[in-house]
Amino acid sequence: MTKAQNDSVQKLTQWFLIALLAVYTFYNLGPIFWLIISSLKSRADLFAMPPVWFFEPDLSGYQQVFGVGAAAESASAFGVLDSLISSVVVSTVGTALAVILGTMGGYVCSRFNFTGKNDFLFFVLSTRMLPPVAVLVFYHLMFARLGLADTRTGLVLVAVFANVGLATWIMKGFFDGVPKEIEQIALVSGYTRLYAFFRLVLPMVKGGIAATAGFCFIFAWNEFAFASILTTTKAKTLPVKISAASGATGIEWTQICAAGVVLIIPVLVFFYLIRKHLLMGMTFGVLGRR
Amino acid sequence: MSMQTTDATATMRATRKPAKKKSSGRLMILGFLSPTLLILIFMVAYPIFSLVFYSFHNFSALRPNAGMTPAGFDNYSYLLSDPDLWQRFVFTGKFVFLCVTLQMIIGIFVGYQLQKSFRGRDVIFTLLMMPMMLSPVVVGFLWRYMLNSEWGIVNYMLTLVGIGKVDWLGQTDAALWAAAAADTWMWTPFIILLATAAFRGIPETIYEAAEVDGASQAYVFFRITLPMSAPVLFIALILRLIDSFKQYDLFFALTGGGPGSSTETVSFAVAKTAFNYFYTGEASALAVILLCIIIGLSLILVRHLMKLGERY
Repeated sequence: MTKAQNDSVQKLTQWFLIALLAVYTFYNLGPIFWLIISSLKSRADLFAMPPVWFFEPDLSGYQQVFGVGAAAESASAFGVLDSLISSVVVSTVGTALAVILGTMGGYVCSRFNFTGKNDFLFFVLSTRMLPPVAVLVFYHLMFARLGLADTRTGLVLVAVFANVGLATWIMKGFFDGVPKEIEQIALVSGYTRLYAFFRLVLPMVKGGIAATAGFCFIFAWNEFAFASILTTTKAKTLPVKISAASGATGIEWTQICAAGVVLIIPVLVFFYLIRKHLLMGMTFGVLGRR
Repeated sequence: MSMQTTDATATMRATRKPAKKKSSGRLMILGFLSPTLLILIFMVAYPIFSLVFYSFHNFSALRPNAGMTPAGFDNYSYLLSDPDLWQRFVFTGKFVFLCVTLQMIIGIFVGYQLQKSFRGRDVIFTLLMMPMMLSPVVVGFLWRYMLNSEWGIVNYMLTLVGIGKVDWLGQTDAALWAAAAADTWMWTPFIILLATAAFRGIPETIYEAAEVDGASQAYVFFRITLPMSAPVLFIALILRLIDSFKQYDLFFALTGGGPGSSTETVSFAVAKTAFNYFYTGEASALAVILLCIIIGLSLILVRHLMKLGERY
């Protein structure tokens, strides 16, 4: 093959790859675009065929989500603010606790060798593997007996349980990336291990803590299976509330789309804030060991 | 202070410390792990033991006062002889296979393209992550809305290119593909994230050496990039395999298990048996079967992962 031929083949594959990437980008972003567009449509525009691309924006979907304006008196607006508060409380408190426990567990698993360490690491990861419905059969009964059914406390407990495994594993990865010599020097200089942990090691994994919190928050914020079965009225979170929008009058598509947009905003903000640490946090667990 | 005395104190300290370090270490292990262990025992071990217990009894959560009567293996033999259950396992298997294959191939491909530096990469990267941030219920409803056979945008575009309307959620096979498309849409970004991170972790010098040796692009990809990022890609595979195996939210919103009960995954069947029919004993037995499969699968995969990690 001549050099010119070789170049043209390379150029062709280059264009082919770009075309494939473009197709994927369309598949990926198209639905997001359609979600945002649909959240602004009125009922009539929503079902128009062919679809309308230019229309008068209609905020009724958002009004229903927040239970304000024209939708303030509607049935679907009932308790929306409560579920927003539930969602915020459950996901922030749950995330905070899961990250604290995960940091402690990850540190110990990264620094010490003790019997049953691998068993513990597998046990803790099993929280990610358990199908929610399997444990739900039991939680349903247990929560009723303990008075935790339909409470935010109960959901916080579930959020901690569901995320502590992930948090432990990611944090262990980050601690593995911090040289062990730091504590050794501190110990030799007469400081305690606790001091070394809080004052020297923790500040070095700040980014890791942020990334872990981001992941846990995404999962806790979007969690549906547990919340849908363990809550009935008082502690409903937003995803559960949305699923209830498919009520007697058919599915409230505008409301669902608007709720989707509202739900994604905190996650986007979180994701943007932790973007620098994301890539690191996901690989250190395996690669950092080298 | 002379050099010698500082050396002496240093060695003294070094010899004195280990004993103290060990005991404080043990305290720290205990103190740092016990809260997590408590939660795991309370939220994982206790429920699983109780599930196994329930699975051998006739019991309904609706009538707790009616009590339980021992049922031996009745729940299990009933379930295992039920052709519907096998059909659910087959459906779940097909769904898992489709999802994992599609997501891994697309994710690795896009991740490989995105590790190269080009203008605006960070923006595109962040935008591509958006499907993953949505709640699975929202994803289910969004795709149900787009796939509507009458006024859905997907069928509109298909008619534009001359394919015609497809009744996506009304036929079993089409519904399987629809569910796989929705799950792939949502979770491929996760694979992209992990794959990009893994690919960027490969030292530049290795690529430079390959270039000097005149290795082709395909050779570099299959012989250097893929093997070197295998541990991370394998983690991604495990997580996706397990997650799609236990998928429930998506089907709840997208198909509701229909048409008929043809798109009910095993998870879906557990939820239905437990919370629609309230056959708690039977649901527990099904949950135990599901647990055994998932835990067995994860044990094998995690073992394999540990081996992979040791090799690199």
